[in-house]
Amino acid sequence: MNRMETWKIDKALITSAGPDQRTLPLQTLIDKNRKKRTVLEIQIDEILSAGIDRVGLVIHPEDEDLFRKHLQVYAGKMQFIPQNEPLGYGHAILCATEFLGGEPFLHLVGDHLFLNQTGDNVALRVIHAAQEQQCAVSGVQQTRESLIGNFGTIGAERFQAASDLFRITKVVEKPVPSFAEHHLLVPGMRTGHYLCFFGVHVFSPALLPILQKQYQEAPTARLGLSDALHELARTTKYLALESNDWRFDIGQDYGLLKAQIALSLTGPDRDFLLTELLQFFLEREKRNND
Amino acid sequence: MGILVNIITSGKPEVRDQAIENICAGMTAAELLGECGELELFRKNNRNLYHKVRALFFLYVIHRYYLLFLPETGSGALVPFSVWEHILNRRFEEAIACLLEIQQLKGLNQGVSSALADAYRKLGFQTLTEQVQQSVRSTTGNNWMFRVGHPLDHPLVFRKEMVTKDEIAGTYPVIREATPVRMDLSHSCWSDIFFLGMDFPEGARVLNISVDLCISGEEETPVPPVEACLRVIDEPVIRLVSTDLESMVTITNIASLFNFAEDYLGLLKAAVIASGLVPPGMEGLNMPVSLVLDRLVGPGLGFELVSQVNNIPKGSRLAVSTTLLASLITACMRASRQTRHISGGLIEEERRLVASRAILGEWLGGSGGGWQDSGGVWPGIKIISGEKAHPGDPEFGISIGRLLPTHKILHFEDVSGETRENLQNSLVVVHGGMAQNVGPILEMVTEKYLLRSEKEWKARRTAMAIFDELAGLLKEGDIRKLGELTQRNFDGPVSTIIPAVTNAYTESLIASSKEKFGSAFWGFWMMGGMSGGGMGFIFDPKVKNEAKEWLLHTMLREKKRLEKALPFAMDPVVYDFRINEKGTTGTLMKGEEALMPLKYYTLVAPLLLKKEMTQLSPGSRKELELLGKVSRTRGMYKQLMSELFVRMVPQQFQKNERLLTLSELLDATGFSKTMHEEIKAELKAGRIGLARNRLPVSVKITDPQSEEVIRAVSSRPEVEKRAGEEALRKRELAIVTLAGGVGSRWSQGAGIVKALHPFYRFSGTHRNFLDVHLAKNRKISREYGEPVQHVFTTSYLTHSAMAQYLASTGSGEKDGLFLSPGRFVGLRLHPMERDLRFYWNEMSHQVLDQQKQKMAENLQNTLINWTRQMGEGDDYTDNEPEQCIHPVGHWFEIPNLLLNGTLQRMLRQNPNLRYLMVHNVDTLGATADPAMLGLHLASGHHMTVEVISRWMDDRGGGLARVNGLLRLVEGLALPDEEAEFNLSYYNTNTFWITVDELLRVFGLSRNDLDNPSLVTAGILEMSRSMPSYITIKEVKKRWGKGQEDIFPVTQFEKLWGDMTALPDFRTGYAEVPRRRGQQLKEIAQLDGWIKDGSAEYVNGLCSWE
Repeated sequence: MNRMETWKIDKALITSAGPDQRTLPLQTLIDKNRKKRTVLEIQIDEILSAGIDRVGLVIHPEDEDLFRKHLQVYAGKMQFIPQNEPLGYGHAILCATEFLGGEPFLHLVGDHLFLNQTGDNVALRVIHAAQEQQCAVSGVQQTRESLIGNFGTIGAERFQAASDLFRITKVVEKPVPSFAEHHLLVPGMRTGHYLCFFGVHVFSPALLPILQKQYQEAPTARLGLSDALHELARTTKYLALESNDWRFDIGQDYGLLKAQIALSLTGPDRDFLLTELLQFFLEREKRNND
Repeated sequence: MGILVNIITSGKPEVRDQAIENICAGMTAAELLGECGELELFRKNNRNLYHKVRALFFLYVIHRYYLLFLPETGSGALVPFSVWEHILNRRFEEAIACLLEIQQLKGLNQGVSSALADAYRKLGFQTLTEQVQQSVRSTTGNNWMFRVGHPLDHPLVFRKEMVTKDEIAGTYPVIREATPVRMDLSHSCWSDIFFLGMDFPEGARVLNISVDLCISGEEETPVPPVEACLRVIDEPVIRLVSTDLESMVTITNIASLFNFAEDYLGLLKAAVIASGLVPPGMEGLNMPVSLVLDRLVGPGLGFELVSQVNNIPKGSRLAVSTTLLASLITACMRASRQTRHISGGLIEEERRLVASRAILGEWLGGSGGGWQDSGGVWPGIKIISGEKAHPGDPEFGISIGRLLPTHKILHFEDVSGETRENLQNSLVVVHGGMAQNVGPILEMVTEKYLLRSEKEWKARRTAMAIFDELAGLLKEGDIRKLGELTQRNFDGPVSTIIPAVTNAYTESLIASSKEKFGSAFWGFWMMGGMSGGGMGFIFDPKVKNEAKEWLLHTMLREKKRLEKALPFAMDPVVYDFRINEKGTTGTLMKGEEALMPLKYYTLVAPLLLKKEMTQLSPGSRKELELLGKVSRTRGMYKQLMSELFVRMVPQQFQKNERLLTLSELLDATGFSKTMHEEIKAELKAGRIGLARNRLPVSVKITDPQSEEVIRAVSSRPEVEKRAGEEALRKRELAIVTLAGGVGSRWSQGAGIVKALHPFYRFSGTHRNFLDVHLAKNRKISREYGEPVQHVFTTSYLTHSAMAQYLASTGSGEKDGLFLSPGRFVGLRLHPMERDLRFYWNEMSHQVLDQQKQKMAENLQNTLINWTRQMGEGDDYTDNEPEQCIHPVGHWFEIPNLLLNGTLQRMLRQNPNLRYLMVHNVDTLGATADPAMLGLHLASGHHMTVEVISRWMDDRGGGLARVNGLLRLVEGLALPDEEAEFNLSYYNTNTFWITVDELLRVFGLSRNDLDNPSLVTAGILEMSRSMPSYITIKEVKKRWGKGQEDIFPVTQFEKLWGDMTALPDFRTGYAEVPRRRGQQLKEIAQLDGWIKDGSAEYVNGLCSWE
């Protein structure tokens, strides 16, 4: 059995139960092949094309019918996992314990879209790195300090001189820059830049007992993910893979618009869209001048 | 390698800590110059801060204290104006290069060495300041703030709970930060100055205690004296409110947040910036502040930051302003998620960040404290120590220590609860009422540390040992011994390093405490900076309550006795205190609890109540409703209605009263309304003014030939001295000490009587200027067997205090001691804008370091607006009456002797009187030297003027040929400032005058002195031919609790030096040694005056008993 097979990853988990993100994944976009699809559909297709055949979707219990209706085409591959209490991101993952069955798994957040210049599968790089290193790997991206307040951010050191792999030493949710300067500087980063989670992870089975323990310690408190990831980094080998790909948080202002433009610019509609945009700007200028 | 360079670089403490005096004392000029050359080369090529700065100070010392006094050091004007300009503009390297070139070409010269000393010293301090600033900026956690240059890059967001309005009460939550102040139990000889910590971390240690306070008898229990409140508001603005300064400002533009001088809220602005809410990287942006608030708080929202200091005035030595800054910064950081918790205490990392940001804030606001001053952020008792810089620290490789010290909290197992209780039961904390600028003291401390002068270095080592002992005693809990030790610390090391730290007031309080309580008074505790403000007295707990009352009474009595002699800013107070074991603590108040402090509403509510209800925002209406409710039901808010009444009823009566007193004072002091109105009209019409003081540029100003000045420096014929001695024996001489001025530079406009300021301890006792002049007279009188008559001229500002003082010495006219009261005063005017602009832009001023200069420039615009609003050229009446009127220059002080009958009484008492020695009150070396008197007699001149060879700082005119006529010329009158730099001699303002010739030029004789109309006519006639100079002076306006504003005002003066231009009053000039001729104008000069032997010289002229 080779290394890849030991760390075979055939499950993916998408979380979409947060009060602010319940129906975001059902927003519709025109994908790079000119097909109208929901964000979730685009994500699931990417996951499936990475060789994964079972996808768990953590949702608010009231939303199950809605999602089931939208995702009929994936029947048999999907499992809907209700999160009965809104107790946080970590809790949402914990709800999937049974589905995950103690195996490593790919994890994506439901309100993000991931793209790259070439149209390749973004999650696949993370899966390959995890299989290669036989450990949890999270996709990270260099982020300016003015934006780190929106993301989970890591402190890390370079891993075995690899150009894009880091050993994670600390995980902090949405830090302020003062804290980041103290604890999250990464050798080789540009001044004022930090490594923030990209939204694509492969987690080792060790994560769930940590979450479980934290949950038991404070069963009514909101259970975030960052503290558990910090613990994961402290107790196991946990790497970060730097990526130059694009991530679009469709929950943010203009997030959907930006994702749509990026999608269209990577497909056959590129020229059409550019022409349309240019046309709009020109006309706007002309009218302003008149 | 030079000996001194070796001292700097040596790794051995016994070499490194040698005093420069011991090495330079025996050196020849060539050897000293050799050392200078080595030091210059060394400091230029060295990156190590400590090496660089110590070399600069060594260079300063060699020039200031050695080369200047060598016989081979020549005089004469060699320093060009460009050097002066370089120094004023802080281009010290350029100035030094230029001066060294002159020295190379022309040899040693007093002007050049004094200028080099000045430039090296200032460059030393600039290097230090820059390093501190650099370290503050590069402190981890602060870097990002200097990178964020645009609102779109702003990384902070307020916590969700801060922007969530309470649905029922309609209020946003309020963060209330309550912060104790710090007391320094060890004093440790100012070891908390940044440079010491960065250079000698092992010597930088303090015992610092966080305390709550209240004024004894006025309030019930001690509380954290400093509070900051922050809440979100429904307007996209930043509103800053200081309840204790009763000031409020609404910021709508980023630029105005960086203008620290336009209002009283500079400290709050500094807090907003240093906390990163509007980071320092945004300085210079002229954009609406709403762009920042939109991201930081939310669209359409802003925030309000309120400061409150509970009853601690300025000068408390409790680091109130740094503590307030830290408190405000903490509140801002809590709101914007920069602390882990929105309420409760802080963790160590957060406290350190707050401390570093408080330092940053102080730098931004142009002020500065020590590194222990944020101590109140930490809980209880702690030892704060300097820390070595390690790899990774921004200071590593540049200085030995880090900027920020470490704080070791002493827990109850280190210092027991009982000891803490005992300390509280023994210690009486007071504010003595004096508020002084400690800036010069801190510079002196730095200088002395760097030079390792033997006495002072030994004192520092002793202080370090005392510190260890003190820390030990605190652990043992022996408060009695602790009191003895703090007293020993004060009497020993603290007073040795800076003698000026104590004063007659403090000494009298200590002596009275000893006398009153004997062995139950355990010791005095010097709290920091200078004494006279915040101080501690340790008593046996059994007498503490009695001692508290007695101390208050004694302080009030002593203040009354000394208030004309020392700069008091307020009445003394006694505090109750309690050790605060929590440190800074935040509380989040929500719903109906979310209220600002009571004082805030007494300030803000009247503005709201004056509006129609329909004009109020829903938020304001809700708040008023809530206020109405709580003012009936809740604790301190029950006072709200009565407080509002006091504030809303106009307080006109007080103002009328003040105007009346001023006009009464004017009537009583010989104020001529006609003359005043004439001057006012001339000023407004532009016929007189600062620019008009100057002689036309066509006037030729040249340096006199050296033979035109008699060398009183070199030995004069013995026969002259004998003639002088003979004249003294015959009582032909009287001394006139000009003491009508208030010494505005000496007390920075505080309005004390300079003559009565006990500025130095001669022969174990604090003595004032008047004491020194009397002691010199005593010595001469004893030597020549006859009392020398002595007149002190006075003015309305100084007369009664001086009369009272002289009466207390038991001397009077019968002993030949006279007071000559002033007969002229002027009323100050609001300056003309053109004069202010001329003063700031056309006349040279020292450019300050970057941030202070920005402050000063901002302030200039504010002051120009102030004078426009008040009316340019109109009477200045908005201050204490005595601060509104002014003496009209020392020219009048001589005619006054004639006018007020003093001279006549002197002649009646002593018909032999033929000569006057007239000198300034601050010319301490001027004595009735028989050789000088003999010189005047032999010369046959009507008046002999004493001049000295010009040093760099001797500004204000001098001896010159003006269109061929040799005369004194005032600096104000020179066509341009450059002209002064060609003049070799500076006027000491000491004159030897032949009485009959003086009377003659006024058209009088001895017999006319009993004819007042003849005397008046003679004086008026002469006064018309004397020029009047318009000057700008700074005057302090005191308000609130020890707060002071400084305003520029216009006044006029006539000066005695212009008498030298009279063709029929033959005047000669004699060059005297500097120690005889130098004047003490500023407190900052004192240290050099002591160090260069001048104090000892003056002491030698005196007979104290």
